[in-house]
Amino acid sequence: MLFLARQSIRSVPRLNLARVAVGMRQLTTVKTTSQEEQNILVAQRKNRPSSPHLQIYQPQLTWILSSFHRITGVGLAAGFYAVTCTFALSSLTGLQFDTATLVSLVAGLPVAAKVALKAAASFPFAFHVANGFRHLVWDFGHELTIKGVYRTGYVVLGFTALIGTYLTFFL
Amino acid sequence: MLKIGLRAKPTTSIRPLASRGLFIKTIPQPPGNIVGTVNDAYVPPPPTKSHGSWHWTGEKIVTIGMAPLVLTPFVTGTAYPLADSIMGTLLLYHCYAGFESCIIDYIPLRVYGIWHKAAMGLLGLGTLIAGYGIYVIEKTEQEGLVGIVKKLWTA
Repeated sequence: MLFLARQSIRSVPRLNLARVAVGMRQLTTVKTTSQEEQNILVAQRKNRPSSPHLQIYQPQLTWILSSFHRITGVGLAAGFYAVTCTFALSSLTGLQFDTATLVSLVAGLPVAAKVALKAAASFPFAFHVANGFRHLVWDFGHELTIKGVYRTGYVVLGFTALIGTYLTFFL
Repeated sequence: MLKIGLRAKPTTSIRPLASRGLFIKTIPQPPGNIVGTVNDAYVPPPPTKSHGSWHWTGEKIVTIGMAPLVLTPFVTGTAYPLADSIMGTLLLYHCYAGFESCIIDYIPLRVYGIWHKAAMGLLGLGTLIAGYGIYVIEKTEQEGLVGIVKKLWTA
C-alpha cells in the first residue's frame, strides 16, 4: 500500500502536487436527475470504441491458429457441401453428373493448377485435423497452460507442414 | 508503458455501429450494446436441451467419433463403405454445427434479425440437400466419399 502511494505521488507532476497540497483543486458539481445521469452515460458510451478490433492486437500463435482453425474449417466444409449438394441436385434434376465428370474436369487442368489445388486442399485439411486433435486434448483438460498452448501449437504447425507437403507432392 | 500483446498505437478508426451492414439494413444497437440501465437484473435465456452443455457434449461425441474415421482411409484404403457412410454423416453434422456457430457469430439475431433466420433456414435446407447427396454418393459411387477425393487426387 505504501509502495503504491509512493508510486502514485511520483507520477504526479510537481506543480499539480503543490496545488493539491494547498487545496487548489477545482471541482464543479452539477445537480442531475437519474434520467439525466443515464443520458450522460449513454452519450459517453457513444464515444467508446467497439470491441474487439483485431488489428490492435499483436499477431500471436494463440489467436492466429484459432482463427485459422475456423477459416480452414469453413473452407473444407464449403467444399464438402459443394460436392454433396451437386450430387444431390443432379440426382433430383436428372442431369448427368458423376465422379468421372469431376475427374475429367480436373484432368484438363495444367500441372501447376493441379498442384495449387492440391496444396489449397491438403494444407488446410492437415491443419484442421491436427488442430482438431489439439482441441480434443484441451477438452479432456490437458495442455491448458500458456506453455501447453504454444507447445501443442508448434506440434500442429510442424504436422501441417509435413503432412501438407506429403499430400500435395507425394500422393 | 508498453503492454505485452498490444501495439503502442491502435491503428483503427471508430465506426458507428449502424454502418455495420453494407448492403442490408441492420437493427440499430444502443451505445455500448447495453440494453436498459446498469441496475437491471440479468435475465437468463430459457434452458433448452438443444443448447448449452448438451449441445457441446453432442458436438464432442461426433468429433471423437470422426477422429479415427478420418485417419482410417490412409491406412486401410477405401474398402469399407460402412465406415465411409458413418464418416459422411458425422462430417455433415460437424459442418452444420460449424456453419451454425459462424452464423451466430457473424450474422447475429440481435443485429440482423430476419437475415439471421434466413441464413439459418438456408443452412438447414443446404444440410438436408447435402444429406441426400451423401445418400446418392454412397448408393452410386463404388468407393464412396473417400473414393471421390482419391480419384480427384490422381486425376
